[in-house]
Amino acid sequence: MKILKHSCSILLIGLASSLANAEISVIVSNNNPNTAIDQATVGKIFLGKTKSFPDGSQAVPIDQDDGAAARNAFNSTILGKSSSQLKSYWSRLIFTGKGTPPKQSGNDAAVKQLVANNPNIIGYVDSSVVDDTVKVVHKF
Amino acid sequence: MRTKTHWAPSLLALAIASPAMASDLNINGFLSVGASMLDDNKASIAGADNQGGFKNDTVLGLQIQKQVNDSTSATGQLVSRGSDDYSTEAAWAFVTYAANDDLDLRMGRLRIPFFQYSDFLEVGYAFNWIRPPSEVYRVPFSSLDGVDLTQRFSSGSIDGSVQVYYGRFQGDFNTGTDVYASDYRNFAGLALTTNMGNFGTRLSYHQAEIIMDTTDTTTALGAAVGAAGAIGLVPDGVDVGTATGNAALAGLTGVGDTSAAEDFNFTGQTSQFVEAAFTYDDGTYSAVMEWTALEHESSLFLDDQAWLIGVAARVGDFTPHLTYTTEKDSFDSGKEGEIQKQLPLESEQSSIIVGLRYDYDSGTALKLEIQNNDEKTALGADGDSATLYSVAVDVVF
Repeated sequence: MKILKHSCSILLIGLASSLANAEISVIVSNNNPNTAIDQATVGKIFLGKTKSFPDGSQAVPIDQDDGAAARNAFNSTILGKSSSQLKSYWSRLIFTGKGTPPKQSGNDAAVKQLVANNPNIIGYVDSSVVDDTVKVVHKF
Repeated sequence: MRTKTHWAPSLLALAIASPAMASDLNINGFLSVGASMLDDNKASIAGADNQGGFKNDTVLGLQIQKQVNDSTSATGQLVSRGSDDYSTEAAWAFVTYAANDDLDLRMGRLRIPFFQYSDFLEVGYAFNWIRPPSEVYRVPFSSLDGVDLTQRFSSGSIDGSVQVYYGRFQGDFNTGTDVYASDYRNFAGLALTTNMGNFGTRLSYHQAEIIMDTTDTTTALGAAVGAAGAIGLVPDGVDVGTATGNAALAGLTGVGDTSAAEDFNFTGQTSQFVEAAFTYDDGTYSAVMEWTALEHESSLFLDDQAWLIGVAARVGDFTPHLTYTTEKDSFDSGKEGEIQKQLPLESEQSSIIVGLRYDYDSGTALKLEIQNNDEKTALGADGDSATLYSVAVDVVF
């Protein structure tokens, strides 16, 4: 029993620390009037199901590069899809002219830079790189 | 100088805003290469034979899309199919006008939204099969020239779209053995799709007035038109095909009612198509059910119903899947039906498809598939059963 408790707590600590390490922030420009955006809306913007922010202004989502840690976390937590599922999802839209996936726009630093300079862009970065050039609208 | 430095960043910001993100030329493509082999040559599935082949499942598609301005974009998709000797066709070529975020008007060459998988019929990567089951996916053309209107909607956890279209298809109706020049006029329909979480539904209705050249008596339909005319001369009450009937027939010349036989052609009769589909996908398990029915005012084509049910499971990069699909013709009532029974038209078949998809790298899927096809009736005669073995690689880029 003791052993079980012990291994459970190790598991929990391990889980908590890996979550803490991987905290991701969804960010927009400081000039973007939206303050908090819920997970469902973030998901809809990144799946092309809505093209606007809650306040009605145009939303342009950008992805990190394929394989980036933040992107994998974002795909599984916010979109609930694996990368091959997403590839399949987008191939159903691309070849009908119904939608194009978010542009691959580099790493944490590159995404933060793009977001800071354009009030229409929404991206996600590891929380550790967030500074006052951008505004966090969702965290997970 | 001061004004200049002040202006430069905001101009830059303006340039980066929507137009810059949207004005890129998007080039995408898909390629499927496949090989298939039938265990015997009696039945016919997907154009394969028992000598094996690399051609029939090979499809190359290239799409370019350009956002011309904020509201207008142009899309073209060229498709080259091995089953069509690699002749290249514009499967899509249309201009989209986005009236607002949720309403699109498109004009040009469009895919007819008959089926659940119509929009990406040839993009093998987008589904688990090597090819959509031909029992259900049995319409031998897939694009028309016309206009459509798509309204997307979203409310809480439900989202979806309504698409209505109108157009005309002029081209070859290719049955695999014969080709008929055809003209589908006043081609119109609507498709309603909804998604809620893991569940999706699709309902669609389509109709067209068909004109088809069946004057060539060396073709199956041409021969059927002639035969229907001959049988149509037989008066009611005489049972063609039985000994007494044939004896009675031998004594008759040119009597009887030919009006029934006049329904055996395509001179503008309306055909209708209905479809209903249900999908489920929770990331691990997925299922699709699709039911379709064709109803022809002309008696030259038999009405039919076809449906499929498929299930799949994702296990890491592997997706094993299993599908049952069936198609069955039905005869018209009355004298037309009696004539149809004398002609080599009826078909009834089913298939079981077992397959494995392996997503071995980003944008690339390797597929293995075994399809057992059981033809109960093929063109009015007893059919055969056969097994088709296929392998394919699907790439999107």
